[in-house]
Amino acid sequence: MADKPIQGEKRVFMTGNEVVAYAAMAAKAEIMYGYPITPQNEIMHYWTRMAPKYNREFLQTEDELSAGFTTLGGVLAGRKAFTATAGPGNTLMQEPMSMAEAMRLPSVVVVQQRGGPSTATVIYSQQEVTMTTLGGNGEGLRVVYSTSTHQELFDYTIKAFNTAWKYRFPTFVLGDGYQAKMRESLTMYDPEERGIELLPAQPYMGKPGTPGVDRPPSQYRNTYNVEEELYEVLQGYFEDYAKMAPEVAEYESFGVDDSDLVVVSHGVVARACKEAVKELREAGVKVGYFRPITLRPLPEKQLREAAEKSGRFLVAESAQGQLDRLLKEALFGAKVEMIPMYKPGVGITSEEVAARVKSVMG
Amino acid sequence: MAKAVKIILAGEGGQGVQSVAEIIAEAANEQGREALYIPNFGVEQRGGVSVAYLQIGDEPIGAPKFLTGDIVVALSDRAVHRTRQYAGPETVFVYDSGIEGVEDAIPTNAKKVLPIPAIEVAKNELHPRVFNIIIMGAVIKATGVVPEQRAKDAIEKKLGYKFEKNPKLRELNFKAIDRGAELVAGAL
Repeated sequence: MADKPIQGEKRVFMTGNEVVAYAAMAAKAEIMYGYPITPQNEIMHYWTRMAPKYNREFLQTEDELSAGFTTLGGVLAGRKAFTATAGPGNTLMQEPMSMAEAMRLPSVVVVQQRGGPSTATVIYSQQEVTMTTLGGNGEGLRVVYSTSTHQELFDYTIKAFNTAWKYRFPTFVLGDGYQAKMRESLTMYDPEERGIELLPAQPYMGKPGTPGVDRPPSQYRNTYNVEEELYEVLQGYFEDYAKMAPEVAEYESFGVDDSDLVVVSHGVVARACKEAVKELREAGVKVGYFRPITLRPLPEKQLREAAEKSGRFLVAESAQGQLDRLLKEALFGAKVEMIPMYKPGVGITSEEVAARVKSVMG
Repeated sequence: MAKAVKIILAGEGGQGVQSVAEIIAEAANEQGREALYIPNFGVEQRGGVSVAYLQIGDEPIGAPKFLTGDIVVALSDRAVHRTRQYAGPETVFVYDSGIEGVEDAIPTNAKKVLPIPAIEVAKNELHPRVFNIIIMGAVIKATGVVPEQRAKDAIEKKLGYKFEKNPKLRELNFKAIDRGAELVAGAL
């Protein structure tokens, strides 16, 4: 049996779905649970192709509810487990991921957004932002990375496992149909050879020793009889989350300090915005670029600074204001005009962003 | 640094436009250039016009799709109608001269409109199977995104196992590249 799927550093050219499968391998994920849905199917295909060679496992379930719950089962058994889904599958996934929040289970979910609501298109959107950041009957106790390139799909899929196992909150890698299906280059690597420590999975159940004598009992609950008890547990969770937030929040920005307008976007749309802002700046236009990499938690401090400095945000997204709503919550009270550029379920090109910036700035 | 070259390839399902885009993208990547290729996918794939978006440059590529192509290639009646929106003042619009009844749909704002007899050459001179390879030859000649030899290497990589069994196929494919390049060389 081959030892490692990736040895050394290697420039490759492939689809985003293939990248995710390799990254999960590189992160030492042990098992994937999944149910097919376009546009994420090939994550499963490539994983199942590689899994037997590298002593990993796969279980196809009967739907996404089951894929989510079996992923949690894998985690409870002390394994690095993950699943991948999209669209209506992500809707079903919210029930098990809510349980993961309740029981603090480090599950990893890769989402390749498609059009919505409902079946809509199998192609592309950024319409799963609200659901992925705040879905389920809970308080959004999760981490969401929104990737923009194949390199990031690789880097952040690896990172997602570490974040999940370090902080014990469910962690999502939020891609989309474009990223899933397009081909571009990236450098794959073995994370440990780069000095990235891969946190080991730890058992939840069946730990050594006598419960209550040698160690606290392993009690993982998603049910409470008394209001106050739930309240108390949640306070602890909120405290942990607030402590974690500044450690995991990430962003990318340039040209914010000297700008009259900042284009804010995330994911694949940020590629168009970056290109447009670079070109406009070269032409002397005072416009900046800001992109939250974590949509939950948001890099609130840096967002507020960018807002105060520029006074105007142009929010570009392939949804009807899902990112915008998150931003407004984070920016409440800041003096900033929010200008929308919404194209729900449709891609945004750099030409369109540049034209919009020009029309806004006059 | 020069901007990325933006290419649209469109045709009927089965005409092989996606394979062509993928091979060119891989050839460019092998050469160390930056390439991004995305197919349209979705239900239109089954019985609709197949469109490939391809960008090749020397810096990381921006958005995967774009509004205006530097070269737009339409290989069927419906593909002409579908892709005329991607033409602009800098666009070379290529279509097969064998497509009938599309005169009114040919974009009038393109820098250059280039009808080429690819279907006819494939059928009468080479083999219908290499139609898309002729198109590939035309695209790389028209754009200069990769040298012809790189394209041939990429084809060898992709289809080498078939060429081993039947070396004539290799010759046929390479000839298709050359012929495709010739079709546009005179006109550009």
